[in-house]
Amino acid sequence: MDIFNNLAQGIITILTVQNVLLLLAGVTLGMIIGVMPGLGPTAGIAILLPVTFGMDPTGAIIMLAAVYYGSMYGGTITSVLINTPGESATVASTFDGFPLARQGRAGPALVMAAIASFIAGTIGVILLSAFAPMVASIARTFGPPELFLIVVVGLLTLIMIIGKNRILGILSALIGFALATVGIDIGVGEQRYTFGSSELISGIDFVPVAIGLFGVGEILYSLWRGAHKEHLDFGKISIKGKGFWPTRSDFKESNGAMVRGSFLGFFTGLAPGAGATVASLMSYSLEKSISKKPERFGKGAMAGLAGPEAANNGASAGAMVPLLTLGIPGSAATAVLLAAFLMWGLQPGPLLMEQNPDFAWGLIASMYLGNVALLIINIFMIPTFANVARVPFRILAPIIIVICVLGTFAVHSSMVEVGIMLACGVLGFFMRRYGFSPAALVIALVLGPLAEESLRQTMIISGGNLGIFIERSASMWILAVMVALIALPFVSRRITRLAAMAVTEFGRRRRGTPVEPSPEAQDSLGSPGSPGSPDLLDLSGQKKDVNSPN
Amino acid sequence: MRKKMKLIVALSVLGLVVPLAGCSETGGNATEEDAASYPSEELDWTIAFGPGGGNDIMARTLVNIIQQYDLYPENIRLENREGGGGATGWGYLLNNSGSGYDISTTSGSFITTPMQADTGWTYEDFTPVGLFSSDDAIFTLNGDNPINTWEEWVDYAKGEKSVVVGGIGPLNVDFILHALLAEAGGYEIEYVPFNDEGQLNTALLSHALDASVNNTGSILGQFEAGAMKPLLYTGISRLDVLPDVPTGEELGITGLPSMPRGMILAPDAPKVAQDWWIATMKKVVATPEWKEYLDSNYLTENIAWGDDFFDQVKSTSDDFETVLSDIGAL
Repeated sequence: MDIFNNLAQGIITILTVQNVLLLLAGVTLGMIIGVMPGLGPTAGIAILLPVTFGMDPTGAIIMLAAVYYGSMYGGTITSVLINTPGESATVASTFDGFPLARQGRAGPALVMAAIASFIAGTIGVILLSAFAPMVASIARTFGPPELFLIVVVGLLTLIMIIGKNRILGILSALIGFALATVGIDIGVGEQRYTFGSSELISGIDFVPVAIGLFGVGEILYSLWRGAHKEHLDFGKISIKGKGFWPTRSDFKESNGAMVRGSFLGFFTGLAPGAGATVASLMSYSLEKSISKKPERFGKGAMAGLAGPEAANNGASAGAMVPLLTLGIPGSAATAVLLAAFLMWGLQPGPLLMEQNPDFAWGLIASMYLGNVALLIINIFMIPTFANVARVPFRILAPIIIVICVLGTFAVHSSMVEVGIMLACGVLGFFMRRYGFSPAALVIALVLGPLAEESLRQTMIISGGNLGIFIERSASMWILAVMVALIALPFVSRRITRLAAMAVTEFGRRRRGTPVEPSPEAQDSLGSPGSPGSPDLLDLSGQKKDVNSPN
Repeated sequence: MRKKMKLIVALSVLGLVVPLAGCSETGGNATEEDAASYPSEELDWTIAFGPGGGNDIMARTLVNIIQQYDLYPENIRLENREGGGGATGWGYLLNNSGSGYDISTTSGSFITTPMQADTGWTYEDFTPVGLFSSDDAIFTLNGDNPINTWEEWVDYAKGEKSVVVGGIGPLNVDFILHALLAEAGGYEIEYVPFNDEGQLNTALLSHALDASVNNTGSILGQFEAGAMKPLLYTGISRLDVLPDVPTGEELGITGLPSMPRGMILAPDAPKVAQDWWIATMKKVVATPEWKEYLDSNYLTENIAWGDDFFDQVKSTSDDFETVLSDIGAL
């Protein structure tokens, strides 16, 4: 139990008054930064990095870890309340979080998200403490071929997200892929579709597009629907109020989702690149495909929020594994942390944990305490945030638009990006009006360049030979998981059916008489005769019922 | 040749400054300056890259030192104007031509970005203050590779049809280094560009790449742990921390470029501002804080002032153009 001793030691080391204050300040600051659309963990850490130069490394890392978690959660708040993900990792949280808020359940949604984050954080820290060296050997096998496959798994979620209107959904994704091609072509360094503008050389950033499509688009659509004339009668939300806490059935629905999301997130987070984003999307489609009521996804299913929230937090813990054990940053935010290590005079690398155990365990412990602080602070802050949902739309709408403009400008101080954001707002309105899927567009925009880049790298490495994907053992494993994920909706039906048959059979034997199958068993037996077709029908049935989450 | 060039640059700078000094309309602040009153305004310091990167940290270190020693009497406004590989930030400086209060720090992209993109400027447009240090790279193999020396590597690489090597960015200094090393060793490469160091390093560790080039600071830990091994250092003299790693020159490979870390003012900045900054930065690079920065980031000190700075940039830039056009990339 050496590791848990280490962890406990780490927690004790950092539990000084000054550090606890830094922790609380970090979480609160992080939340405030994260609530600003456009500013997420990477920006949060980068903004506060210079502040920490004068501090001792342990105090500094505590503050930054707290900022990291705080701003992750801040992004969730805006996703749920105003449908605006501040960060690609919280796109999936808008799918069911925002519908929940619209039904007047913003309080339970935010509490559930905080609990899911907390559980994922706990599982993540345990995995990190116990298995870091082992997991590190997995992390070091993720080259471009593996990264490509993981991104493809993320892209497969498009199938789940597009929903009933396939042609419009595919068109939306294609628009996203097209936008993703703007900028310098990573393969040969040529400019693509920049029309000579230096503002477009680095491509179209996800942030202004997402803020426009989701945030401004939603406002325009609500105005068009006449939401400003509607009268809201949501009650005041307070900690003591009944409507604040998630109900028993919310928990029942979400428990499994949180645990699955935590593990999925942790292992996806090991891959450098798209960790948290891919993890949250994977979790969403996993939950939808194994749910008994997939038709509720996109209309306010608690599991559709809890899963992705757990996954993106789990991924943050996962991303720490390569950082601490290999000295390799797994995400943009951890890359900034790595730069900070250098500034504090620490040598990032495989020996970091050995040479600076106090620091490394202090970091792991502060990640964990960051989660705890977040949960506590949230219980007090959520009522304030959740009451935003009660503000009449005619007052809220202009405020949100102003915040969207400010948030977009704050990221790179670029007026061009503000223009892109506003244009995407108009685009988002029409997409919603005519049944396109803004979510598919944004996912394609985020994952498209990663897929392109990693595939091109892979092809250079293998000399154009696709066999590389089955030659490398790590990519073989990922391929196997991929096949399993695709097969899961089909297989789980069949397993349910087999189980039902076994139960019926068992009952019959026990009673010694043939009995009528129970209605349930009969239901899951489906129509006899064609074993394959019920599954297919069922899958398309799922898709039919589900609105695209926009 | 070089002397002539210097003369031309000096003359052209003079030629640009003199008419400006006589004209009271263009860029109000640029014209009224005389040696006594500069500096009298807030300084607008552009960082052409995002927070946390090498350029950002250098700029913030410099500002800290300047403020610690009270070298600049007025306020300094630091602004990250990132995007387009520096195109946005240095483009901002270009838009403030003639100003003595717009300043920025340079890095490798200062040379490579205008080659790739239609930025509307090249290094020659700006007013040079000075070069302080240069960034060199280490040629790296996976730690479990049986090859231990540069000679063994060349033997191995020559035996293959081509070797797979990686670095940051498509047409950046990493690519040029690989191309020059391969030319010197007489082997063929397939270059794989990466966007960030994390992915580059995992690719090497996962055996997807045969070799890579890396920045010293962030990679030392890998050598210490034996996860990767250094074969060659591209700097002029061996690194104190890696005394056993030979330089390119020792192995007979000359002309390996390094990335200039220096400081520039807006185009056509007043002479008085340029002089003031050269004098001030001479004090800054002599401080213990600056030495500490160089040490902790494993940078090689390389000092050149004014036009000498741009002479060095020019020779690096010319090398790049030769390599890139040999390969047909430009």
